[in-house]
Amino acid sequence: MNKKAKELNRINNSLDKQISSENKEAFTDMICYLRGANISAYDQEVVRQDLTEMVLSAQQRGETICSVIGEDYKAFCDNIIASLPPETARQKVIDFFDILCWALSILGAINIVMADETIHLIHDLITGRPLGFRIPISLGSVISAGFIIVAAIVIVEIFMKKSFEIGKRKQTDRLNAVLISSGFMVVLLLIAWFGRATLFTVNIFIACAAVLALYIIHKILANV
Amino acid sequence: MIPSQMLKGTLEGCILKVIGQRETYGYEISENLRKYGFSDISEGTIYPLLLRLEKNGLITAQYRESPVGPKRKYFSLAQTGKEEVDRFYSSWLELESAVNKLFQNGGN
Repeated sequence: MNKKAKELNRINNSLDKQISSENKEAFTDMICYLRGANISAYDQEVVRQDLTEMVLSAQQRGETICSVIGEDYKAFCDNIIASLPPETARQKVIDFFDILCWALSILGAINIVMADETIHLIHDLITGRPLGFRIPISLGSVISAGFIIVAAIVIVEIFMKKSFEIGKRKQTDRLNAVLISSGFMVVLLLIAWFGRATLFTVNIFIACAAVLALYIIHKILANV
Repeated sequence: MIPSQMLKGTLEGCILKVIGQRETYGYEISENLRKYGFSDISEGTIYPLLLRLEKNGLITAQYRESPVGPKRKYFSLAQTGKEEVDRFYSSWLELESAVNKLFQNGGN
């Protein structure tokens, strides 16, 4: 998301608060659906601003979102998407690497902080023992990172594409959420168990530098 | 009520005509169209069309402060839009004449 889109996003976030609870659900579903569309982040925010103005004006006239947009919110959003230029291939690649670098930097930081070796290092530093700076990277942690990133992207994609359906059948959706998250936990535990073998070791400072570099790349790409 | 399939081809031209009268915004356009007999035309119906007309360079948009908080988008007709209105109207007259001829004399 570039600077212009971010600024608009900030304004839109504050305006969202004025939307009444009556209109909130339909409005949020529409914005969520538009987020998953093949249009630029800036266009998404421009449309969001226009829709916010439409809904707030309707509220002031004593009308609901339904009277302004009609009952088929999905068709309305599809018409909007069809009227806007698709996101460029260049921007898609940038967005992908932005998310990838961000996710890897977060997972990398968690792995460093949670590593036994890091805790030992802090302990040895306090007690004055000789320090070991190498932390092992297991096959399991590499596979888990890949699995978590792919799963996160797929889940977000499903939520955006199915925003008009998810949450409408509360009991079924709750059961599905429990089953899916339990499935993920089982897969992650299996990966952790079978992937205990160390793939390679790395100096903790190099690992921290790599995490920092990934985060900086994310910050740069996020502003392109 | 005019069937939506019939409206599809003509609504863009009519929106251009309304915008050509004076700079205006979505809700006002829909209200204007209703006054002329286009029932069931909500702001939501015309918003995607306005985006398409803007993308095709037929209208230009400008954000101005609105009393409700978020800036409101005001549209005005671009030069190509003016030419499109003329083209649309002459096509419409041609169609209207053909349909009228058919219905008035076609039965004979």
